[in-house]
Amino acid sequence: MTVIETKGITKVYNPKKVPVHALRGVDLTIRKGEFTAIVGPSGSGKTTLLNIIGGLDQASSGVVIVDGVDITRISDNKLIDFRKEKIGFVFQAYNLIPVLTAAENVEFIMLLQGISKDKRQKRVVELLKSVGIEDQADKRPSKLSGGQQQRVAVARALASKPSFVLADEPTANLDSKSTAQLLDIMAKLNQEEGMTFIFSTHDQRVIDRARRVVTLEDGMIISDVTR
Amino acid sequence: MILKLAWRNIWRNPARSFVVIGAIIIGVWSVIFLMGVMHGMINSYVDNAIKRETSHIQIHHPEYMKDKESKFYMENAEKLIQDIEKIPGVKAATIRSQTNVMIGSSHGTRGIRINGIVPGREDKLTGLNELLVEGKYLEEGRPNQILLSSRLASKLKVKLRSKLILTFQTLDGEIVSGAFRIKGLFDTKNAMFDDNIAFVDIHSLNELLGQQDIGHEAMIYIGSVEQMDSTVMSLKKAFPDLLVQNYREISPELGLFETQIGMAGRIYMVIFMLALIFGIINTMLMAVLERVRELGMLMAVGMNKLKIFLMIVLETLLLGVVGAPIGIGFGYLLTSYYSTRGINLVIFSKEGMEQFGMTNFIYPSVNPEDYLFLAMSVFITALLASLYPAYKAIKLKPVEAIRKM
Ligand SMILES: Nc1ncnc2c1ncn2[C@@H]1O[C@H](COP(=O)(O)OP(=O)(O)OP(=O)(O)O)[C@@H](O)[C@H]1O
Ligand SMILES: [Mg+2]
Repeated sequence: MTVIETKGITKVYNPKKVPVHALRGVDLTIRKGEFTAIVGPSGSGKTTLLNIIGGLDQASSGVVIVDGVDITRISDNKLIDFRKEKIGFVFQAYNLIPVLTAAENVEFIMLLQGISKDKRQKRVVELLKSVGIEDQADKRPSKLSGGQQQRVAVARALASKPSFVLADEPTANLDSKSTAQLLDIMAKLNQEEGMTFIFSTHDQRVIDRARRVVTLEDGMIISDVTR
Repeated sequence: MILKLAWRNIWRNPARSFVVIGAIIIGVWSVIFLMGVMHGMINSYVDNAIKRETSHIQIHHPEYMKDKESKFYMENAEKLIQDIEKIPGVKAATIRSQTNVMIGSSHGTRGIRINGIVPGREDKLTGLNELLVEGKYLEEGRPNQILLSSRLASKLKVKLRSKLILTFQTLDGEIVSGAFRIKGLFDTKNAMFDDNIAFVDIHSLNELLGQQDIGHEAMIYIGSVEQMDSTVMSLKKAFPDLLVQNYREISPELGLFETQIGMAGRIYMVIFMLALIFGIINTMLMAVLERVRELGMLMAVGMNKLKIFLMIVLETLLLGVVGAPIGIGFGYLLTSYYSTRGINLVIFSKEGMEQFGMTNFIYPSVNPEDYLFLAMSVFITALLASLYPAYKAIKLKPVEAIRKM
């Protein structure tokens, strides 16, 4: 089943002044259950591509179909709801709300979705367990290590039961041990629950764990390898 | 949840929140106390004026108030007063006959207004007898005695028991004179008032005016100001041919003073609210700009604009909700402390406030509805002040906010 399909997307920053062609015609299809790394040198357009797929930014041209919906055609406010229901995000940093505990951060998304209290709390426990952070549930982010914070972020991304999780350099700020732990968790969730992950990275060790590697250069896909 | 988030957010930077909360507390506190003092001053001034000068209600011949000519008198004064006293709400009443006179001693003459009073009634209203500093009060039925202020006496260079000549026009327009002996000297501490008035027995004055049992001014004291309007209504009904007026109509400056001081309180409040608005906007803008990335993340993961907006508005309102009750509490405590004890105004000026027609002690008081009004104003101010920062927050674009990561 296809979750994401992009057709000929381009992105031009500053079209009036000094145009930067960040993407020059990207066709990419992601199927359910994939574990895909987007790689490429700095400035190749990885973040731009993920933002467009995630409905955070708009393509200059082309089509982005997520779960059968062309998201280039929906309004800003609807897009927020769309993201809430369909997409899990893990950013490089500042993922969590500092005034909420780990558990509350995970619960927050479900609250926005209007899920009942019992269900929420049950799921929070499950999710924190699955990312191995159940004993830190009542700590605020500032009391957690970077690796622990990213694991909470993964749990938070999964909380809404999204179609896929987008992670832009999720391990960039982590040491190698935390990086390995985080990838173990993501791989496990991918295998056991069939969750689709798309993440960008520079890190060869992370690339090695991906089952599909899409390489960008200069805003174009130059290779797409599935192992 | 948004409420919980907002509540915790205001304690992220406790120092900053405390500055705003502190400003609200001090502002509300001082506004309340100031309104209390102003209110106390109005009450003191107005009560004093009502007690000593106007009473609550007066009744005149319909033409009398234009130029206060003595030919516009009311007949059957004694019966009139007795009828007035039967009206519900009336606590005490008296009548005066009045005219302008030249008062002369061997050292000179001055123009003043003479009041013929019923001594036994007057003391229950204006308490003239309590104001004597020398001599005695007028005795009922004893002719040709006069009370004047010690200020006027010294201007005329006369003493107790000196003789004074009053010269004025009778009702028929003829000039008459009468000799009066000074029975007592009073001092109301209100110089303007004291310089221009003297009191004699009503019969003595009426006799010289040429007609007995007349009066120009009936003065009515009522139990409480709340009853004033209904009492005025009843009096109007009972005496359709006469002019019934409350103290605000008789002395428009009293009513004006009341509204002006009330207005000054409101203006002070508006200034405080304006200062508060800018303080809050500034603080909340800082709070928003500091959290650009976090707000971007919230929008990215699906917190919609309405909720973001609401969160910022709630954060702002909470500052007011914490600050206003504390400020009101302090204001209430301070006001009630002084409302029984009184504030001694002598500490501000040696002569005290009596020269301005106020008593030296004022008792601050705040209407319960003013507390409510103030609480509402803080609430509305916080609400208004939150709109711009909240608007700024929802104008953030998640990508741009996140890029900064
Ligand atoms: N907001 C922007 N305005 C102008 N140019 C931009 C903007 N964002 C990105 N770019 C440019 O677009 C190109 C692609 O940027 P992008 O961030 O997508 O690359 P990336 O592959 O994620 O790089 P990195 O590995 O450094 O994160 C770069 O040349 C970058 O300078
Ligand atoms: Mg990037």
